[in-house]
Amino acid sequence: MTTYTEEYRELVAETPRGAVTAAFREEVAAVVSPGGLISEPAQLHTYECDGLTGYRVTPALVVLPATTEEVAAVVRLCARHRIPFVARGAGTGLSGGALPVADGIVIGLARMRKMLSVDVDNQRAVVQPGVTNAGISAAVGGHDLYFAPDPSSQIVCTIGGNVAENSGGAHCLKYGFTTNHVLALTFVTPDGDVVTLGGDSTDQLGPDLRAVVLGSEGTLGIVTEITVRLLRRPEAVRTLVADFPDAEQAGNAVSDLVAAGIVPAAVEMLDELAIEACEKAVQAGYTLGSPAALVVELDGVEAEVEEEFERVQEICRRNASTHIRIAGDPVERAKVWKGRKAAFAAMGRISPDYFVQDGVIPRTKLGSTLTRIREMSDAAGLRVANVFHAGDGNLHPLVLYDAAVPGQAEQAEHLATAIVELCVEQGGSITGEHGVGSDKACSMVKMFGPDDLTVMARIRAAFDPQGLCNPGKVLPTPRLCGERPGPYRPHPLESAGIIERL
Amino acid sequence: MTLVNSTSVAVERPESVTEAADLLRGTDGPLLFRGAGTKQAWAGRPVEPALVVETGRLSSVLAYNPADMTVAVGAGMPLRDLQDLLGEKGQWLALDPSTESAGATVGGLLGTGDSGPRRLRYGALRDLVIGVTLVLSDGTVARGGGTVIKNVAGYDLPKLLYGSLGTLGLVAEVVLRLHPRPAATATATVQVPVDEAGELALRLAASPLEPAAVDWGDVDGGLLAVRFEGTPAGVEGRRSAAGELLGGAAGVEWRTGADEETVWQRLAEGHRPEEEETLAVAGTLPGRTADVAWALSEAAEASGVRTALASRPALGLHTARFAGAPAAVGAAVTAWRERVLAMGGSVLLRDRPAAVDAEVDAVGPPPSSVGLLRSLHRRLDPHGRCAPGRLGSWLPHPAPGEDRDRS
Ligand SMILES: Cc1cc2nc3c(=O)[nH]c(=O)nc-3n(C[C@H](O)[C@H](O)[C@H](O)COP(=O)(O)OP(=O)(O)OC[C@H]3O[C@@H](n4cnc5c(N)ncnc54)[C@H](O)[C@@H]3O)c2cc1C
Repeated sequence: MTTYTEEYRELVAETPRGAVTAAFREEVAAVVSPGGLISEPAQLHTYECDGLTGYRVTPALVVLPATTEEVAAVVRLCARHRIPFVARGAGTGLSGGALPVADGIVIGLARMRKMLSVDVDNQRAVVQPGVTNAGISAAVGGHDLYFAPDPSSQIVCTIGGNVAENSGGAHCLKYGFTTNHVLALTFVTPDGDVVTLGGDSTDQLGPDLRAVVLGSEGTLGIVTEITVRLLRRPEAVRTLVADFPDAEQAGNAVSDLVAAGIVPAAVEMLDELAIEACEKAVQAGYTLGSPAALVVELDGVEAEVEEEFERVQEICRRNASTHIRIAGDPVERAKVWKGRKAAFAAMGRISPDYFVQDGVIPRTKLGSTLTRIREMSDAAGLRVANVFHAGDGNLHPLVLYDAAVPGQAEQAEHLATAIVELCVEQGGSITGEHGVGSDKACSMVKMFGPDDLTVMARIRAAFDPQGLCNPGKVLPTPRLCGERPGPYRPHPLESAGIIERL
Repeated sequence: MTLVNSTSVAVERPESVTEAADLLRGTDGPLLFRGAGTKQAWAGRPVEPALVVETGRLSSVLAYNPADMTVAVGAGMPLRDLQDLLGEKGQWLALDPSTESAGATVGGLLGTGDSGPRRLRYGALRDLVIGVTLVLSDGTVARGGGTVIKNVAGYDLPKLLYGSLGTLGLVAEVVLRLHPRPAATATATVQVPVDEAGELALRLAASPLEPAAVDWGDVDGGLLAVRFEGTPAGVEGRRSAAGELLGGAAGVEWRTGADEETVWQRLAEGHRPEEEETLAVAGTLPGRTADVAWALSEAAEASGVRTALASRPALGLHTARFAGAPAAVGAAVTAWRERVLAMGGSVLLRDRPAAVDAEVDAVGPPPSSVGLLRSLHRRLDPHGRCAPGRLGSWLPHPAPGEDRDRS
């Protein structure tokens, strides 16, 4: 079976592009307010990568529009001159979604960071894309409201990036992802038209275009205003950390919770290495040396939470939990979460370099998958730390390596890719929340067949017939990914010297 | 199997996705997809199809993993049958549309975006669908999403199909996220007019009580029902605070068991059309409930038609029923829709007698995103075969009988 249909090849084929000339720069300068243009080489470097620092491309120009109209005007210029453009929020993305295109421009939304309105009665807010995720909750906290999606990067990452990645967080098992909390978007199409997707009503007539833009990783257009749904803060929250003799037993405890009909607000698992790293970084009180720990949080109506919290402890004990620590107050709870949310960055404490991986398996395959990961890690001679959203089977294996050792980075990258492909074999997904971006575009063929990809390419072409909006992301480019789904090969751009690996 | 009905429209009931794909690839002319046929009149009236594809035989359970709380089914699976199956494991698809009892299918529910009272707590099918198999009119079979709850690989095809009303292709298979059946439930009812119900709904939303459903119906002079579900202690523990919020012990009645189910069945009636009635659903900000009701009574008065309202005020979803002469009904629907659109809402015209069609634009003015919709439609259904006319003027479609160009 071929990997791509003829139609797919045609749809994703690169169209002729224009160049960012001095004249183009001037035209752009004329449509954005002062301070909105960055073309100093030293400053451009700031934008050459996102959180996936291994891939770097210096953009020809960075534009920081201040309004929807300015974004639309810049996009119209790009469309007219066939200049590729890449939207950018805070640049915390972990899949190279905001990786610039050489000879293209970056449209940064950082200057658009106003909370436009808060409607307390109707529990929603209208915000600009550059507002941070945590900024929304902070602004409405006084009304006992909050924005539910809570990526660990929430202090920095923007709502625009969350919309583009359909970001989740520890609490999405119960509350869902960004797509479940966005009611309307003001959207600049790749032609530069400004349209509204969604609205005051939960339902619009016809296909749900808002839904397809959510999670489209900036490839369908630029989001310039977001109406988010806010939730009432729960009456009660209870959190515990339970230690287990091994990950298998921790996994069984999660299965038993689910079987008991309990839907926790969050269930997170950390393995021994992850615990070690977190403790070194933030001393959150996890038990050093414990092979596995579960963080379980329940929230909701007081009487219900109390009843279920007892059962959670019982279930943990039944599954051989060696120690249960109950967070007695908000300060203690914050400490537990600080440990968990610092997990990625904490790896720096135990390894010079690491890859953050993101894959999903059916939750019931947790035990067997962890065993396979351990075997693969042993075979490769590289350590793998595991932190994950255990409730929904979203794994974040962290592959530790030392870039100073020749060849180890490549080896680590191979291992990370093999792990994610293992997830697909188990019936899961190549990404649960970090997105496909440029990093995993070539792995899309592991999950989707030729016709599936063709239909996605048709959707993309419907929005962006010229192929200028964040090109090279999400959908695999046959020329770069090779013809056959197979083991990961080095990115040809790398060999071509267009991007460099640090 | 080919059936030919009275007006000599071919009806096919494929038994597999491959068969469905072959069928679409091997034919041309307008198509109509049908599950249980409970919502064939929603939105615009499609042109006479050359072929009706029924999903009745695409109705098996493809995979059910109770421990993962996911299920994959053929699109023709009736919701009612699915709930029976899931109930054996103490689970359910958290969706309770009033058309369930009429045999509504999972695929049809996704395509129409129908929902019920407990959408307040669990979301709509949009929030519960995690994977889909779509057959395009050229026979291309595409899968989107996956089989795990959390997955952001590729475009969200499953959710795109929510509300698509069969205009993009045939939904052949659906993968769903499930919930545990709550152990306990109780409903508080209070007799109030609709504007007061709207106020109470906002106060409930602002409270930490987390109601599962808040419905108001024109029953016994105006009845607001508020359902709470969860653990027995959780339901019991909310009683006093909920009772107080709803106006003190005097007016509040608590219902459980058969009594509770009866209340919800009566309220569901308000969302079903009686013979010869026209039904339309408005979506607005929750805080607009009283305005929607007021606009409806004014439209009724001006056109001389009888109307009734049933509202889900915490969701901002309001079902209006109209009865009267077709021209008057058309005028009332149009007037009401104008008011709702002016307050930022949307309106979906649902069931109606054929005679009303000539009196009302079925879809109303197009939204600002109509260009994107057309362009997407052109890519997925280039010959405009899927239910042409369903989205009225929003999508181009030939007049009935016009020759179809398949160049
Ligand atoms: C330490 C750490 C922890 C993290 N934890 C989580 C986690 O728990 N859950 C999770 O889901 N993610 C997590 N992430 C990933 C990342 O933070 C999210 O993907 C986040 O949503 C990205 O937001 P951003 O503003 O940084 O976007 P960027 O990285 O700037 O951009 C991300 C993508 O969005 C596009 N984009 C940005 N703004 C717009 C816009 N206005 N319109 C259209 N497209 C746009 C870009 O083109 C790009 O494709 C983590 C990252 C780090 C570094």
